[in-house]
Amino acid sequence: MRLDIAKKAVAVGLGLTLLAACGGGTEQAADGPVELSFWAWAPNIDKVVDKWNASHPDTKVVFSKQAQGDDLVTKLLTSAKGGNPPDLAQVEYQALPTLVSNDVLADISEGAASAKDKFAPGIWDQVTLGGSGVYAVPQDSGPMMFYYRADLFEQYGLKVPTTWDQYAQTARDLRAKASDKFLGTFSSNDPGWFAGLVQQAGGSWWSVEGDTWTVSVDDAATKKVAQYWSGLIAEGAVDKTPMYTPEWNKALNDGTQIGWLSAVWAPGVLQGNAESTLGKWAMAPMPQWDASAPRTGNWGGSTTAVTAGSKKQKAATEFAVWLNTDPTAVEALVTESAIYPAAISAQEAQAKPPAFFPNQPDFYTQAAKIAATSSGFTWGPNVNVTYTAYKNAMGEAISGGADLVPALTKMQTATVDDMKANGFTVGG
Amino acid sequence: MTSMRVSGRGGAAPKVAPYAFVAPAVVLFLLVFALPIAYTVYLSLFRTEVKGLGLGLGNRTEVFVGLDNYWRALTDSELGAGALRVFGYGAILVPTMLGLALVFALLLDEERVRARGFSRIAIFLPYAIPGVIASLLWGFLYLPGTSPFNQMLRELSLPEVNLLSPTGIYFALANIAVWGGVGYNMVVLYTALRSIPRDLYEAARIDGCTPLQIALRIKIPLLAPALVLTSLFSIIATLQVFAEPTTLAPLTNSLSLTWTPLMKVYQDAFGRGDIYSAAATSVLIALVMFVISFGLLRITRSRAFGGER
Amino acid sequence: MSAVLVEDRVVTPTPSRSPRLRSIVSALGALPTFVLLLGAAYCLFPVAWVLIAATKSSGELFSTSTLSLGSSLLANLGELNGYRDGVFWRWMANSALYAGVGALLSAVLSGVTGYALAKYAFRGRALIFNALIAGVLVPAVVLAIPQYLLMSKIGLTDTYLSVLLPSVVSPYGIYLARIYAAASVPEDVVEAARTDGASELRILTSIALPMMVPGLVTVFLFQFVSIWNNFMLPYIMLANDGMFPVTLGLYTMLKQGNTTPALYTLVVTGSLVSVLPLIALFLTLQRYWRIDLLSGAVKA
Repeated sequence: MRLDIAKKAVAVGLGLTLLAACGGGTEQAADGPVELSFWAWAPNIDKVVDKWNASHPDTKVVFSKQAQGDDLVTKLLTSAKGGNPPDLAQVEYQALPTLVSNDVLADISEGAASAKDKFAPGIWDQVTLGGSGVYAVPQDSGPMMFYYRADLFEQYGLKVPTTWDQYAQTARDLRAKASDKFLGTFSSNDPGWFAGLVQQAGGSWWSVEGDTWTVSVDDAATKKVAQYWSGLIAEGAVDKTPMYTPEWNKALNDGTQIGWLSAVWAPGVLQGNAESTLGKWAMAPMPQWDASAPRTGNWGGSTTAVTAGSKKQKAATEFAVWLNTDPTAVEALVTESAIYPAAISAQEAQAKPPAFFPNQPDFYTQAAKIAATSSGFTWGPNVNVTYTAYKNAMGEAISGGADLVPALTKMQTATVDDMKANGFTVGG
Repeated sequence: MTSMRVSGRGGAAPKVAPYAFVAPAVVLFLLVFALPIAYTVYLSLFRTEVKGLGLGLGNRTEVFVGLDNYWRALTDSELGAGALRVFGYGAILVPTMLGLALVFALLLDEERVRARGFSRIAIFLPYAIPGVIASLLWGFLYLPGTSPFNQMLRELSLPEVNLLSPTGIYFALANIAVWGGVGYNMVVLYTALRSIPRDLYEAARIDGCTPLQIALRIKIPLLAPALVLTSLFSIIATLQVFAEPTTLAPLTNSLSLTWTPLMKVYQDAFGRGDIYSAAATSVLIALVMFVISFGLLRITRSRAFGGER
Repeated sequence: MSAVLVEDRVVTPTPSRSPRLRSIVSALGALPTFVLLLGAAYCLFPVAWVLIAATKSSGELFSTSTLSLGSSLLANLGELNGYRDGVFWRWMANSALYAGVGALLSAVLSGVTGYALAKYAFRGRALIFNALIAGVLVPAVVLAIPQYLLMSKIGLTDTYLSVLLPSVVSPYGIYLARIYAAASVPEDVVEAARTDGASELRILTSIALPMMVPGLVTVFLFQFVSIWNNFMLPYIMLANDGMFPVTLGLYTMLKQGNTTPALYTLVVTGSLVSVLPLIALFLTLQRYWRIDLLSGAVKA
């Protein structure tokens, strides 16, 4: 439909012959080597691709490095509209429903369903969107954990918090002992981080019943999380500047931030951003709302997806499955791209701790235990809208006076309005 | 390459020649400007409809909605607020940048000034720095934690300034634009100054005018047409402000991703994947820009645009 | 107030001044130079910051004082050189290609179009000129998606042409060239050539364009800078990172996502290197950096 309009516009305007053959989903007859284009951003993933190319002479994967997640979603949406998407792309879990709903991704259940057993059920549910289709193969996951500067904790006589109450008290104690330091920051720039905290608290933002979506971005669990952080910000117990800025990097380096609620991939980030703190960090499970039933959320993590516009879906699916389940491929992903693999066998195989955590030899054993407490989560078809609303509303709330709860209402309204405007059926 | 295209008709009478000469530009213009604009207008009249859960192939269809997208844009409070913010930003930026450019141009034109070549090139240099890089480096210089200015203030035990606060951000953004644009405007004004006949100044000097008086009473009035044009270009650039706030936004709580109308267009089109309402907003922005630019030209009654209206 | 700024050499009717006033006046004589140098310092400071930051290792960038020099410039350059098998230099070469070829074609196209618009009276001239100028009013962000969708219909996305073609037609360049043509190509020279029987094409290529060369160099320079710095167009059009210009390449190094650290050191070093060709252009072709927005219009 949209394609036809574009065709007409060009034809009417210029009288040009149309060269582009659009549409997709049909299989190309495989004569000679097949070439697959692959967009991703994981560092050094091209080296893993090289391994595939070396062992599969009849299917050549051409890798193209792109900017990270949100930017890539944008590019995928645009390229699919233009009728020339890549064959394969790295996609974060929360973007899958958006891309599926925009007809960008192919259902690859035929070639990929058999990979189901290699992944934890909670992870697999994320790529099936709870239905019978399979829209991607899981690559890595990001169970959340608490990182802290062990040396500074000792220096200030702090104990590692195991509950959120303790976390708040530790934050206050630290401020009392060293007024220029913080236990953490509330970042208005990282909706994925907040969503992870909400998952841990048992929140659920989207759910499906029949043909109807239910949206509850402002549910009780989310409000609990927002209220908790509002209080900490208001009393000045935590910092309120965004993460991933040069200032934050400096704060990690010079010990202004002595803790970070992050995920399993944090060692790589810390190594890149705060090289000087090698061996000074330690990892612990997240502080808990209910210490008797430990849980965690997920922040980050991505998949390999095949596009609906690809004419080589079968070969592309083979590559996606190989990349994320083949032992040599996954091992290469772990060593070259430093990801935390989604495949269970590979999680168990990780014996050595990350290079930045030589002091914590059982890092991955602990990580696997924490990962097992991950909460499931259903993502909606417009997570990008909710995330943008988070950035805008939380930023405004923090500059305005720190009550974060009204920001949740704005996120809820923005999400529901957008879904309704697009014609989704949204129930109460 | 261009001349090859017209070689067959080159010998024709001047009646054909001008059309042949402008043809390549006109065809390219139609292809990369006019057609996309027409397409934008077309898109602005549609929107997608989703069936059911919207998961699975072929669930979206395009429907004609008339002026509905325009109505939504006009009643969108965020868009109006964004427009106001841009006007606030422009009110700081345009006078500061042009004022500085004028002062620098007049000083360059003074005979007794030293280090003229150096100053000229130094002030013009930021024009060469890409926006992506400019915002990154100003980000480092603004963030209280990494800013050398705040470091200095801390060492002098003076109160620190946070240019990334909700009010400070207007100045922070304007500063990046002033830094990048003052040199260009200075060069335009200086070029215009150099084309004023020197004997005019000589005459004034003999009449007892001081350099300041010459600047105020002779140079600035003669610069008026150039000032009008540079103002117009600056206002257009102001209304199109996009790159700086977009790249600074992740650094601070003070900038939303819909801080300016153009950022809203980007969010609608790329963030929400709704090119239809983005198209409608684009058309509205372009209309406002037309009205402002041509209104400004009319008010100043300038014939600067080639007198072709 | 004007009395204070009087230059002492100028013969004025004012009575003789005291020596004290005289020294104040000569001190004020240095004021214009001082103000200009202040402006230069303001403009150069951030550039100096890039230079300093590029000498720091990633640890130093976030731990040492902002304005103190680091020790890793060569190491950073080496790392940049080694990043993904030297892809940075490929990006630089791409930028040079886009900006060089694009600006050259743009200068020629602007020259021909500007000359035609300035020197011929023909039906539709005003319409064409005004339409071209109105192109300045449409923001790149607005054009990006429709341009992309139309380009994909003719199969041109993700090619060098998809970035080059839109860069070639520049409303601003045509506007400038029209002014230069009006100002630098005298009417009687064109008439004389015409009576000698020269074709219009010949007049254009051997008389008008050569006379317009200094102006067209300026158009070339401006287009070069604007294409080199363009971000939106290649961002939308290109997917193959082997075709990225350097601005886009640096952007992908910065936007690494939450799970990987941004490569600040490499980006800063890369920024420095990527700006050097432009600085060289500024310094070597200084005399062409003059922008005459008006004279043609006034004289026409």
